[in-house]
Amino acid sequence: MTSLKRSYDPGNAPNLSSKVYVRTTRAGKVQKIVRELYLRRDIPCSSRLCSACLDVAPTDYRNKVAPFVLSATPAATKSFPNGHYLVPDTNAFINGMDLFELQTGFHDVIVLQTVLEEVKNRSLPLYHRLTSLTRNESKRFYVFFNEFRQETYAARDRDETINDRNDRAVRMAVKWYGEHLQQAVKARKSSRCPSIVMISDDKENLRKARKENIAATSLFKYIEGLDEADKLLDMISVGQEQRDNRLDKAALIYPEYFSLSKLLTGIKSEVLHQGTFTVSPYNYLEGSVHVPAFNRALLVLGRENSNRAVSGDVVVVEVLPKDQWKAPSSKLVDEETVNKNENPEVEEAETIVSELERKALQEEVKKTHGTNAEGHAQPTARVVGVIKRNWRHYVGHIDKDSVRDPANQTRTQQTVFLIPMDKRIPKIRIRTRQAGQLLGQRILVTIDSWDRDSRYPVGHFVRSLGELETKGAETEALLLEYDVQYRPFPKTVLDCLPPEGHDWRVPADTNDLGWESRRDLRDLLVCSIDPPGCVDIDDALHARKMPNGNFEVGVHIADVSHFVRSNNAMDDEASMRGTTVYLVDKRIDMLPTLLGTDLCSLKPYVERYAFSVLWEITADAVVVKSDFVKSVIRSREAFSYEQAQIRIDNKSQKDDLTQGMRTLMMLSKKLRQNRMDAGALNLASPEVRVQTESETSDPMDVQTKQMLDTNSLVEEFMLLANISVARKIYDAFPQTALLRRHGAPPRTNFEELQNQLMVKKDMELRTESSKAVAESLDTCIDPSNPFFNTLVRIMATRCMMSAEYFCSGTQAEPEFRHYGLASEIYTHFTSPIRRYADLEAHRQLAAAIGYEQLDASLQSRHKLEGVCKNLNVRHRNAQMAGRASVEYYVGQALKGKVLDEEGFVMKVFSNGFVVFVPRFGIEGLIRLRDLGTPEPAGAFDAENYRLTITGSRNVTIDLFEKVTIRISDEREESTGKRKIKLRLV
Amino acid sequence: MAPATTQQLLLSPAELSYIHSSLSLQPPIRPDSRTPTQFRPLVAESDILPNANGSARICFADGTEAITGVKVQMEKSAWKPSAEHGVHLGPGGGGEDGDEEEEDEDSGGKRKGDRQGVGDNSWVEVNVDIPGYRDDDTMPVFLAAMLTEALLATGTLKNRLWITERYHWKLYVDILLLSQPLSYPLPLLSLTTHLALLSTRLPALISGPSDDPLFNDDWNASYPLYPRSPQTTSTSPSDHPPITLLVMSVNSNIIFDPSREELAVAESVLAISVACTPSPNDTTTTTTSSSHPANDTQSKDSNIRLLAIRTVDPPSRFTPPGVPDAMNAATGGSAPVGSREAAAVREGMEQDGVWRPPRGGVGRVVLGRMIKAVVEKGGVAEEVFEALEGVHTGT
Repeated sequence: MTSLKRSYDPGNAPNLSSKVYVRTTRAGKVQKIVRELYLRRDIPCSSRLCSACLDVAPTDYRNKVAPFVLSATPAATKSFPNGHYLVPDTNAFINGMDLFELQTGFHDVIVLQTVLEEVKNRSLPLYHRLTSLTRNESKRFYVFFNEFRQETYAARDRDETINDRNDRAVRMAVKWYGEHLQQAVKARKSSRCPSIVMISDDKENLRKARKENIAATSLFKYIEGLDEADKLLDMISVGQEQRDNRLDKAALIYPEYFSLSKLLTGIKSEVLHQGTFTVSPYNYLEGSVHVPAFNRALLVLGRENSNRAVSGDVVVVEVLPKDQWKAPSSKLVDEETVNKNENPEVEEAETIVSELERKALQEEVKKTHGTNAEGHAQPTARVVGVIKRNWRHYVGHIDKDSVRDPANQTRTQQTVFLIPMDKRIPKIRIRTRQAGQLLGQRILVTIDSWDRDSRYPVGHFVRSLGELETKGAETEALLLEYDVQYRPFPKTVLDCLPPEGHDWRVPADTNDLGWESRRDLRDLLVCSIDPPGCVDIDDALHARKMPNGNFEVGVHIADVSHFVRSNNAMDDEASMRGTTVYLVDKRIDMLPTLLGTDLCSLKPYVERYAFSVLWEITADAVVVKSDFVKSVIRSREAFSYEQAQIRIDNKSQKDDLTQGMRTLMMLSKKLRQNRMDAGALNLASPEVRVQTESETSDPMDVQTKQMLDTNSLVEEFMLLANISVARKIYDAFPQTALLRRHGAPPRTNFEELQNQLMVKKDMELRTESSKAVAESLDTCIDPSNPFFNTLVRIMATRCMMSAEYFCSGTQAEPEFRHYGLASEIYTHFTSPIRRYADLEAHRQLAAAIGYEQLDASLQSRHKLEGVCKNLNVRHRNAQMAGRASVEYYVGQALKGKVLDEEGFVMKVFSNGFVVFVPRFGIEGLIRLRDLGTPEPAGAFDAENYRLTITGSRNVTIDLFEKVTIRISDEREESTGKRKIKLRLV
Repeated sequence: MAPATTQQLLLSPAELSYIHSSLSLQPPIRPDSRTPTQFRPLVAESDILPNANGSARICFADGTEAITGVKVQMEKSAWKPSAEHGVHLGPGGGGEDGDEEEEDEDSGGKRKGDRQGVGDNSWVEVNVDIPGYRDDDTMPVFLAAMLTEALLATGTLKNRLWITERYHWKLYVDILLLSQPLSYPLPLLSLTTHLALLSTRLPALISGPSDDPLFNDDWNASYPLYPRSPQTTSTSPSDHPPITLLVMSVNSNIIFDPSREELAVAESVLAISVACTPSPNDTTTTTTSSSHPANDTQSKDSNIRLLAIRTVDPPSRFTPPGVPDAMNAATGGSAPVGSREAAAVREGMEQDGVWRPPRGGVGRVVLGRMIKAVVEKGGVAEEVFEALEGVHTGT
């Protein structure tokens, strides 16, 4: 048998190649994928030195070549006196992304496509950071598509690993750049040719590069040659190498994670469960994971079970056998105090659970076994894998005790602990050369890794925010912790503002384009009522009697969508920010100030564009007809709540404006009654107002917020407007309306509170509907304790779900319900200046009334879901940032003072209790050991929520009990941080 | 009996008689002057379709040409009762219960690493596409069935398709005949399939044995369905996919790779499927020397194992018979009255130079010799395996 053999060879054509890989689809299909690759020769080097590339580079539709990025005179260093372009390898970006993001250095960087793709595969967040760097013009980062350029394409050899091939591709690109630039420089007849420097932490790659005569260095070495090396070196992640070295010595103290395939198999077959890991704010050793399969959260107790999960991570857990189920902790455990004296440098002696921790847990177990464990036992679980790390930047301060020699200013590297501001985050071990200087400062760090042999995660220093306790540092820390975007608006956003600036006026000529399909409502007697000092006035109102005896009521909302068009830079920025964040002394705007406080703001005495909702309402507050229209209004007056109240109450005022306000007041009271009858909840949250000195904004006094009738006047009509608009846009866009819902809380949420009320006060909290909750809350009155009702309301509020934005297509209609407001449907429409959701609702309403075309982004359910998700997160963060800010200012106001205040016991633990102080809206822990020395013994009666304290102090603490508290502030020794200290009097 | 090609070669009885008599000579003289065991030259290439897991193309000298593409797809295995289920769990216990396969299966079952367990016949699907035929015509169906039979008979192939207890590869072999089926296309299709299977690669499993499978996305990490000797361990030496050869007999002569003209005069046509089992390590083992050649699966030192024999309806049956002078009125003979009488008369005659279509049937001795010629050491099958291996490795 004879045969002639001709083999298939794709490499015949030099500009054609192919990529072969295996793809597993979501449906479980495994496919061999072949992608053809057409190599080209016109991908420019983008160096300003090169004119050859300029001639061949592809042009855009205007026949222009994209401007070249890399500087003709790049920065020089000692080793590269002619200047240099950096070509970092993948591991350089992974270990030193913070360095590349520095504004002061690291310019002229060539990001190879090979590297970019590898970064993308390794870490998506890093990839996004890198791509945003390449868009930053001042950094001069250029993405070179080396895989598509014929000269730099590396065909994979037989038996070559992907990694080796990619390394070779990087070297090829570096080499090509070097030769290419040499030619370019020669063509310019210049002598100064910048070096092309490869930065890699891969030893093998460096060795091969040296062999091939390519300038290459490790990231560490490169930085050592720069100024400020010490500071920069701290910013490198702890490389794999260093970790590998340690791996030999140290024992593995954490169990290994399951393989990804095992996790996925387990989740599919419901043996394992996936959920977000959250750590209890009271006990850092107790985490919980809410999974769909269980209606109660799964408890994750102890370090070994939480297995290196950090609060916020998406983890996979395995439920432990039933005999290991436990009741949630009734004990306060604080990492700072339990592991106070650990030495971060010593690693050999590390065990997963320190003796002290073990003791703390042990007591826990005893307790649960002692009492009726069955009734309270909750399923426990252990973490077996992490699907997604949600590590971010963490703000904290350095543990003073972990610094070897604080006074010593030598620049030796040492390992110190960083104590994060967020108590739920474990201590982070960082290596630094500047420990001495960083003491007493708020610093920003990231976690790099958490290996099996390390008790604590390992991270690196990013930057310092400033001295602890200073307003600037603390405010920035707050904003960083809650991920609030606080940088000034970029130029691209400001370019979207109207060119007239503050001189912009509503066109006088009603034939102007701006007047098209707008109704002229300038003759209406409109006024606005807002908190004192409000500059971003979103809403204004009017009411007048109609000839038929009904009332015409109008709510006029600032027409922000006129100024912020869909899909421009300003819209993107606003959608990202989601909401304006109000801190005590600062407002972080969603929209540039020009719009927020001037052009959109419904200021008095000037004409403004508005979006009006007009109703015909009967005297019994029944809506007969509603109408939505874009309009032009002129507000007659801007009142504060108090001024408005005075004006309404002043009988001598008889002008039309005041009459209108009285009508509004009358109607609002009826509306409110209707709402309450339907079962709306009157909930409470501790709200205080910090009064600050106007010049320095140093806090002077703290007051709880006052509620006037005018507050609820405005609130009622805003609710009415929101509900009307929600109906309208849902009718118009049943699939894509942006609505807001408040889910009914699962009954289990209330169980604890129900039981507490039953045991302590013999009161019943009925939870079958919001109406039942509202009514039974009204009956929770303790005649001897007027605050008791508010306390219960605060606690009930904490049992509720949080309201959320959603896209109407994603939920069934019964799920639209707003539980708290007892409304079938709801949205946000009335504050477009400070909330992005309202802006979207405006656009949808405008389209619903045929004013304009609906933007495509508002018709795509998928896109809207993404927007809603972001808004929900931003909204929650903004709230928490606001609260934290108040808390900080309350602390500042109390500085150096000692006050006795009345407080209420909110929660009882076996070794302490939580007290709520209404006067300042603060909650504080009082531990047994704070009560006296030696620490008094506590007998905790979990069923009666009672802690009987004997020993150096004899008291009995009951839940809901009124206690007198001495408030003072105290400087903590180890951290140098000021804290509010509560003592029992 | 597999049907013959319906396409008739238009040869006159005299021509048929001429070919028949020259093939009956000792040694036979073939129209293209080949020796009895010589194959026609062919052009072969493998791994020609980038998107398939394995592929090959073969073009015979007479212009017939076929392409085979092999694709695998992951499938969930049907749940099996625990008796067989236990086999899958054992660390290499494949075939221990041995109720459906012979003991040779152990070589597949005891494979080291991730491929263990017993495969199922439904995991291999062969589809033959011949121009001018519907896919439910007898010809493609029979061809596919014969090829499937050979592929499944070894047992090793389907066992290799086992991924985990709950998943397996489904192997789709798509054979496309590009030309008209001039001669009986079975050997062409079989050889193409053989080459395609040799070049077939499966994605490498990276997940654990009880997980939902996850595969290495690097195609270079995939492993061959039929591993070649350098990479394989001593326990699993290289083996080959089976081939099916067409053998015909004329009188006592055995002729391989018959051309279209030769088939027109064949007295019997056999499709013999053989596999190449791993060569024994020590040559001294003379296992069986059964007198019955058909059962002699491992004759002497040969590595060739007989898998299946199918007789093919020889196309010669439908050729027009020659008319002897005695029956031709023009030459002075007396023509018989009816066709029945003519057949009876013809049956009694034995006249050289007059073509008489064979009645079918093959003698036991000839059959034995045909099989022997295929499987014996240094026989035709061995030669073919070697040649195809050469195509695959590119030597």
